[in-house]
Amino acid sequence: MTSKIINMAEKLKDAEDRLLESMFAAEPIANDGFSQRIVTRIRRRIWVRRLALPAAMLVGGLVAFKPAMQLVTVSSTLLGVMPREFLEIPASVLPQVESATFGMPLIPTIVLSAMVVVAGILGTRLLNE
Amino acid sequence: MACDGAWAIIQVATPLDAEDQSLVTLAVASQDTAAYGELIRRHQSQVRNFLRKLAGGSTEDADDLAQECFLHAWDKLQTYSGRGSFIGWLLKVAYTTFLQSKRKSKRYSEVLNEVGYVAEQQSRSYTQDADEVSDLDKLLAVLTEEERAIMVMSYACGLSHREIGDATGLPVGTVKSIIFRGKEKIRTNFDIKDHKHG
Repeated sequence: MTSKIINMAEKLKDAEDRLLESMFAAEPIANDGFSQRIVTRIRRRIWVRRLALPAAMLVGGLVAFKPAMQLVTVSSTLLGVMPREFLEIPASVLPQVESATFGMPLIPTIVLSAMVVVAGILGTRLLNE
Repeated sequence: MACDGAWAIIQVATPLDAEDQSLVTLAVASQDTAAYGELIRRHQSQVRNFLRKLAGGSTEDADDLAQECFLHAWDKLQTYSGRGSFIGWLLKVAYTTFLQSKRKSKRYSEVLNEVGYVAEQQSRSYTQDADEVSDLDKLLAVLTEEERAIMVMSYACGLSHREIGDATGLPVGTVKSIIFRGKEKIRTNFDIKDHKHG
């Protein structure tokens, strides 16, 4: 609840105070679209802020896509060098996977990467909000 | 003042303040720009008048500052606690915006001076343009920037000493002594009984 504090001592104004008040008094300034101009600027800023993060992520994603794919390919190759039994997912943990290896084919890797990116975007947006 | 020792502080919630508060709540909670537009419409005249008197430059410059002030206020709206009037809080933002712009233009002039460029006077000084200055301009010219801001807040905007203290970050006692000093200066320099409206 808004409150206004009035000092009673201030209320006891002398003639000089009243004279100063009349000298400082000014005609009210007409709005003439002033408030509308500011509201328009604010609405534009809100849109820019909303779009800035997804746009930056899109640009970043596009720039990083090729190096990221190269990194995934190199990682897959390196994983193939590791002992097979170390890479196998135990059937007890994931029974539906018989003997999946980390040396994934390219398409599932892309799908997985895309899912990670989308999850990242959604997570960041959630944090932003 | 005669009754300095007998302060009676009364809290009064005016209907206008309550409406302002609900508009602020609406604007903050749902980013309602229409509610904020209504707040601007209500207070633009006081803020623009304050900045015109304070800056002393062209009305266009003061109005640009007022726009900046309302944009800053939008960004900081959630920091308005509802303690004190909304116009008091807005004038605080306006005063800060004015000081920031002053610092920026000072730094800009310093850079120009360093490279040997003589800049044109960007804002009209109160001591110049004698043809156009009103009595109020002459009166404000004898005051320092701080005194001018506080006198305008007090006599043009009708803020209480406490609200001025909140707006400027000064203790109430300092506000009172600045007003007293300002009045002394005006008394010394002018016969304020014979004046034209500014």
